[in-house]
Amino acid sequence: MAKRSLALQLDEAVQAMLVSLQPRPEKAPDRELTALVRVAQALRELPRKEFRAALKSDLQRRGSMNEGTAAGAGAAAAARALHYQRPGLTSITPYVIVRPAAQFIEFLKMAFEGVERVRMPAPDGSIMHAEVSVGNGAIEVGDGNEEYPTAPGAIHLYVDDADATYDSALQAGATSIYAPTDDHPSGDRWGAAKDQFGNLWYIATPKGWTPGPEGLRSVQPYLHLREAHKMIAFLEAAFGAEAMGVHKSPEGAVLHATIRIGNATLEIDEAHGEFQPMPCHLHVYVPDTDAVYAQALRAGATSIETPQDKPYGDRAAGVKDAWGNSWFIATYLGR
Amino acid sequence: MLVEAAQSDPAKFDALYDLNFERVYAFLASRVRDRAAAEDLTSEVFHKALANLPRYEWRGVPFAAWLLRIAANAVADQFKRAAREFPSPDDPPEAPADRDLQASELRAIEHRAQLFHLVGQLPEVQKRVVYERFVEQRSIREIAKRLGKTPGAIKQLQLRAVQNLRAQMEGGHG
Repeated sequence: MAKRSLALQLDEAVQAMLVSLQPRPEKAPDRELTALVRVAQALRELPRKEFRAALKSDLQRRGSMNEGTAAGAGAAAAARALHYQRPGLTSITPYVIVRPAAQFIEFLKMAFEGVERVRMPAPDGSIMHAEVSVGNGAIEVGDGNEEYPTAPGAIHLYVDDADATYDSALQAGATSIYAPTDDHPSGDRWGAAKDQFGNLWYIATPKGWTPGPEGLRSVQPYLHLREAHKMIAFLEAAFGAEAMGVHKSPEGAVLHATIRIGNATLEIDEAHGEFQPMPCHLHVYVPDTDAVYAQALRAGATSIETPQDKPYGDRAAGVKDAWGNSWFIATYLGR
Repeated sequence: MLVEAAQSDPAKFDALYDLNFERVYAFLASRVRDRAAAEDLTSEVFHKALANLPRYEWRGVPFAAWLLRIAANAVADQFKRAAREFPSPDDPPEAPADRDLQASELRAIEHRAQLFHLVGQLPEVQKRVVYERFVEQRSIREIAKRLGKTPGAIKQLQLRAVQNLRAQMEGGHG
């Protein structure tokens, strides 16, 4: 049925658009579809009803009290409370703790056109916290110390040109694991490299129109795990995550799975060959830190830090999973 | 007349807000590309407008254009604030040089504002799908679960909503 196929085509375009890199070129785009996608693109900026109502009632209150001042903080704070993600971050962000973090940031800039947007130095001059945008995603960075030892990880990057990005990663000091190839099981053009800080980078360009169930984020943490199938159950129970596209071997080992939390995804597989477990740090924004923290403990995690309001405006907690990964759970309080 | 009514009674600012909210938001969202920032600035613009309403005089500038000028200034100020907070010599944030809006940009804003208005007139279930999908950015599966429908039905509703909006934007000749 032509109608049904248009529904599917539109949804594919919407999925890609909601969490995607750049809009992908379409092969011989259908005229009707093109017009519909234009409307859909505009809808991405549709204002939230809650915000419209909150601002209106705030203005009404000020108007009726006849104190029209230019503050405007009330409605903004009330409305922002619904925004549980810190602007610029998605539901899942890898937190890479390496030493020296400053050099790693330079690597991200040179290799992946990263843009440093936040840097908070510690009193000793090291980097307590930094954020670097890469494509439509972000990587958080900090210097390792006694409390938080270095923990490089594996990150899957979706880029426009895997070959060019792979080359610039090598120029920035990474070493090749393998050059981009069309023979990767994902069907994407895919290469791999290891940087001088110990992180693994899977650099891929999707081929054709394959946005996947939730489209693509530029930055996706990739966890190699023993008994990876148990991680799926843990993430479902702890974070209300959704497993999408789970591919298993006949023996039941997870060959690849994409897991969605909120508006972002991470990938997992069963550790194999040179791709062994690398316990890492992940920063997850959720609507209710306290609830997720409690769920995570019930699902078998251990506490790193109980939920508390942080001076930088998040409510945050930390847990460690059975594989040794640290999950920093946070809710942006809009301050 | 609405403006005069609101000037003599600020409680009547409501009507002006309803007429102009989508327009101001559409303009700001197109400039800052970040929902939280667009909301903050929209809030700032309307509060400034309310505070300065007694000083608004009809001098050939329609009220909507006056609001958009406040909005353009708010964006420019925000760029300046950002430049102070995170100075980066490599990549200085650009303050929009021209605070006067071009006719083509005004048309684009009107178009976008009209679309936002039309969403409110969609049949209830289509409206719900549009908000869940585009504002909350939920997956088709999640929306299906929340609305007690199949994923296929949600995709159809999404299509019908977008087709409806397109038809109405084109004056019913979509």
